Amino acid sequence: MQNNKRPSFYKKVMIVDDTYVDRYIAERNIVKYGLAEEVIAQESASAALAYLKDLWEKKEELPQLIFLDIRMPEMDGFGFLKEYEKFTDGIKRNCIIMMLSTSLNPEDHKRAADNPYVSKFLNKPLNAEQLRLLIENEPHLKSA
Amino acid sequence: MNYFLSGFFICGLLLAFFYDTWSVAIGVGGLSLVAYYSVKSILPDSNLYQYVASLILGIFMAQYIYQMHGLFEMHFIAFVGSAMLITYQNWKLQIPITLLVILHHALFAYLQFVRVDGIYFTQLDYMSLSTFGIHALLAASIFFISGLWAYQFKKFSEKNIEQTYRIASLNEAEVQKEALLHANHELDKFVYSVSHDLRAPLSSMKGVIEISEEETKDELLLKNFSLLKGSIKKLDDFIQDILQYSRNSRMEVKKQSIDFAEMLEDITNNLKHMSSNNERPVEILYSVSNQKLFVSDKSRLNVLLSNLVSNAIRYQNPVVQNPYVDIQVNMTDIETGIVVKDNGIGISAENQKKIFEMFYRVSENIVGSGLGLYLVKEIVDKLDGKIEVESEPGKGTAFMVCIPNGN
Repeated sequence: MQNNKRPSFYKKVMIVDDTYVDRYIAERNIVKYGLAEEVIAQESASAALAYLKDLWEKKEELPQLIFLDIRMPEMDGFGFLKEYEKFTDGIKRNCIIMMLSTSLNPEDHKRAADNPYVSKFLNKPLNAEQLRLLIENEPHLKSA
Repeated sequence: MNYFLSGFFICGLLLAFFYDTWSVAIGVGGLSLVAYYSVKSILPDSNLYQYVASLILGIFMAQYIYQMHGLFEMHFIAFVGSAMLITYQNWKLQIPITLLVILHHALFAYLQFVRVDGIYFTQLDYMSLSTFGIHALLAASIFFISGLWAYQFKKFSEKNIEQTYRIASLNEAEVQKEALLHANHELDKFVYSVSHDLRAPLSSMKGVIEISEEETKDELLLKNFSLLKGSIKKLDDFIQDILQYSRNSRMEVKKQSIDFAEMLEDITNNLKHMSSNNERPVEILYSVSNQKLFVSDKSRLNVLLSNLVSNAIRYQNPVVQNPYVDIQVNMTDIETGIVVKDNGIGISAENQKKIFEMFYRVSENIVGSGLGLYLVKEIVDKLDGKIEVESEPGKGTAFMVCIPNGN
């Protein structure tokens, strides 16, 4: 499923996941299936937050889509969201956040659904099929 | 009571001092106390001593009347005694003292009548029948009220004890319930955490395999990758089955209104995506008739139906042209009957007895955890329902489930 003809859907997306393999899979698939030109991989929630904070003056450099893992050491996906809430609207209005997990816990699903910044809950692995659906359905920012 | 009785005895001595009736004071008073304490020590477990107390309280009254040479007013000592007996919470204790008063009255009145000497009793002169009647009535009412209070006292303290006990056990039940809920919640968290940690590497493996699959056209490699994915799916399904089993056995039945058509549509959509490479797509048909308000546990019913339908898909008959599974839901006011029928490979008679056992699988070749039907049976039991199976090898299988309406 090569999408060389179509330009990439997004300019930049970010993947936040503490597992190397999962970052590798996401990165490869995103580029291969034309979801984005550039993929920024962050191995921790705090690193991702720092990255976003640094870009508050350069809005064009912000990732348009963020894939957020739930289970991470020190600060997990929901911890990231709590800190993210404190960011300026300038940042928040530019990023669509999707949670990425293997969690079967309905509480996790509910927390994600209740969070105004989470657009969707995806199941790992981030494969071709899911990316195709994403491109087709053009996820929008959730109305806060 | 000990203080009162000693008090009575001492009063007797005091009166003796004033009226010079020592022999009576010591003799009768002493004998009474002896009677009381001896019964109490000989039979400590019985309440006979209380009846003795009642009696001797009456005797003290008679003693005082005698000591004071017929002072009629001392009769009220009997009422004092009667009131004291209330504390024993036994109305029957009024009987000995009442009888004694009556006896004493009658006997001594008669003795006086026949002019026996030395009887100190009320002068008959100012005793007329109507006065006697009034006195009798007053005495009777006092004994009656004392008895009544004794009885009510008893009832009241019984009720008090019962209420205290009930509150205590309610509190205990509350505490236990809290502890149980907490333990359940902790176990829930543990199970989810474990299942997540088991599944995460599996999903990573699946992702890498899919990437690798796209990098090659080599048939052997592709076959190998497919086998790898098959094993991963097996393990993942097993983990999810264990999770479902754990949830079913621990969680309380949650009641809500069930829309079978919606549930079956969801299941159909999910299972369409889940079929592994070896399975042909199986046509899933369903129909819901006699729609009624049906209340039951939605997530458990979902698991039950998913398991039955996915089994039908797995155990399809390879030589049959159009494999299908048909789910018919028929509702009445008291229950819902569900029939899941397929034209799969069927189950032999001897296997039919064992299929609901934990980890029982008919064939090693077919991908399954062995927990599916066990879980179905557990869910049916949890919902107080019934399940039966009819099957013929080579022809097909039908599972008949009956779930009572929870409303």
